[in-house]
Amino acid sequence: MSQAPAHALESRLIATGVERLALLGKHAEALMAGYARNEVPLEGLTTTALNRLLAARILWRPDEQGGVKLAPKVRELIAEMLADESRRHVNADVAETLELLRGLVQSYREARDAGEYWRQEQQLLRLRQEVDDLNGRFADAIDSLWRRLNGDFGFVSRLADKIRENERAQKQIVRLLDGLALIDFDELITLVGSDGALRKLLVSGLQQQLTQHYTSLREVQRRLVELMARFRQQQSRSRLVAGMAGFLREHPGFVPGNYARRSEVPGLVNRAAPLVAAGAAALDHHPDGRVLGELLKHLPPPVHRPEPVSAAGVAAPQEDALVAARQQALKEDVERFYLAVVDGGEPLSALEFLAQGAFAWGEEIWLFQVIAEFQGLPRSEQRAFRLRPQESQAGRYNDVRLIHDVVLELA
Amino acid sequence: MSEPTMTTPSMVAFGPLLERLLAGEFICAVSDEGAFRRLQDEEVRERLDAYLRPLNRRLATNDEGTVYFLAWHTLDEAAREQLSRQLGETVASLLPLLEWLQLVQEALGRDGPPAPGDVLKPADFSSRCEDHLGLRERLERLATDPFFGSQSDQLDAQLKQVFKRLKEHGYLLQPHADRQYYLVTAKIDYLLDLVRFIRDEENLPVDDQAPSAQERLL
Repeated sequence: MSQAPAHALESRLIATGVERLALLGKHAEALMAGYARNEVPLEGLTTTALNRLLAARILWRPDEQGGVKLAPKVRELIAEMLADESRRHVNADVAETLELLRGLVQSYREARDAGEYWRQEQQLLRLRQEVDDLNGRFADAIDSLWRRLNGDFGFVSRLADKIRENERAQKQIVRLLDGLALIDFDELITLVGSDGALRKLLVSGLQQQLTQHYTSLREVQRRLVELMARFRQQQSRSRLVAGMAGFLREHPGFVPGNYARRSEVPGLVNRAAPLVAAGAAALDHHPDGRVLGELLKHLPPPVHRPEPVSAAGVAAPQEDALVAARQQALKEDVERFYLAVVDGGEPLSALEFLAQGAFAWGEEIWLFQVIAEFQGLPRSEQRAFRLRPQESQAGRYNDVRLIHDVVLELA
Repeated sequence: MSEPTMTTPSMVAFGPLLERLLAGEFICAVSDEGAFRRLQDEEVRERLDAYLRPLNRRLATNDEGTVYFLAWHTLDEAAREQLSRQLGETVASLLPLLEWLQLVQEALGRDGPPAPGDVLKPADFSSRCEDHLGLRERLERLATDPFFGSQSDQLDAQLKQVFKRLKEHGYLLQPHADRQYYLVTAKIDYLLDLVRFIRDEENLPVDDQAPSAQERLL
């Protein structure tokens, strides 16, 4: 009976809606210019077009003299579509939706009790839409929060702004959580009674979705708090670095107290001197011998590179000169030993000569130089001497010969 | 046979770590994540301390616990002497290091000074400095500071020297010797803790808190 006019109403609504939505597309450029700036530029719009946009409440004129602006809802819609976090709004108003839901449930039941099935269907549809809207608002808000979080609030450039944006986001979460807390499922259970469709929509379905929102909000809140701590730390470090650098520049002679001389040395100052754990090849561990032998075989042959003269520092030649001078003195003393053998004509022990002459050389280095001197002689002169090493086997199982002394005599 | 080594790894496993610590290195999550994680275990720290005790050393950490290093166990005269000298050197290097931190923050347009784990590339600096005379001059002044000690007047050579010195001092880590990118280590945290400490001890007029009360009035 009442179905025909209701259908007519619906189709008229749909027709107008399509017409007005088309306006959005038709004037998209002017509208986006209005979104980016404060006012919508009127140059490209005819009077008819402007009047249609005003009638559709896509635009509005705050006062007669002022320019034309985007309606808040349209601005929100665009921000939502663009995920434009600097302009996106979070709608946390749950109380009003709950009020609406109660009304719709009431109306639905009246229609059911009166047997008006079509009206009952319509109310159920409106209920579904409202519940979806409520869900969508939370989902959008959570999406917006995550985007801001994951982008490190990159839509503002300064750290102080990021901190303010983070604070704002945290307040939004608190409002959203407060909104969630308003939804009392005991009340909803009583409200829906034994109606299966309502129960599914308003109790089991909604509860599941809201639980998810609640978990997401808690998680994003935790992450925001963490990020805030990082922002604050960055800000504090930045200020500390700038402040201290400024102070030191202004006070070039600044010397802090010597904290190392206090009875209680502060922990940060107590840094022990480096200690190098030195190690050297050792042959006292039999199995290592083979490994060391292998290593020795694989040593690259020493490369004698010509010293680039210009690159030599100042300290190095001094040290070299010192070593060379000592080497020369050793060589001269060894030559004295050779001359003594020539002069005396008797075999002489190198170590005895060393002891008698009160030279400052170590025995080992002395013997080494005596042998080196012999080997360094031209072959003809070498034949004039005989060098008899006094040696012994290093151990019962070790064939290394140890030289204890050498005796030099004329051949 | 149970496997006691699974729960209490033998000290041999800590050899390389001990060696690095003894050599004066700072161990953090950037420089050696595995070692750093193990050092967060109190039992491990106790065992290392017991090992280090005859060497008159113990494990130490900064305020936030982001780096580990070795401290003297007992402070004798020689240790105090070494610490005084070291403190003097650190104080002398403070200004160039702080200026470098500031320069990085500004040159790269970051929200804060470099923090542990940040990646720094000399190439980014050279391109910024080429476009910006002010940055170029500051880098030049910094590079020729005795702490960095660059002798060159070429931008790239100066940058190279600055990064090299920061690497030597353990503030930066170069994961691949042939690739020009560096990681900031948590030794930066230690440096800033020390700066904060000096500020507090000497009552320096350096504030690191945002004037939030004033902001709220606005």
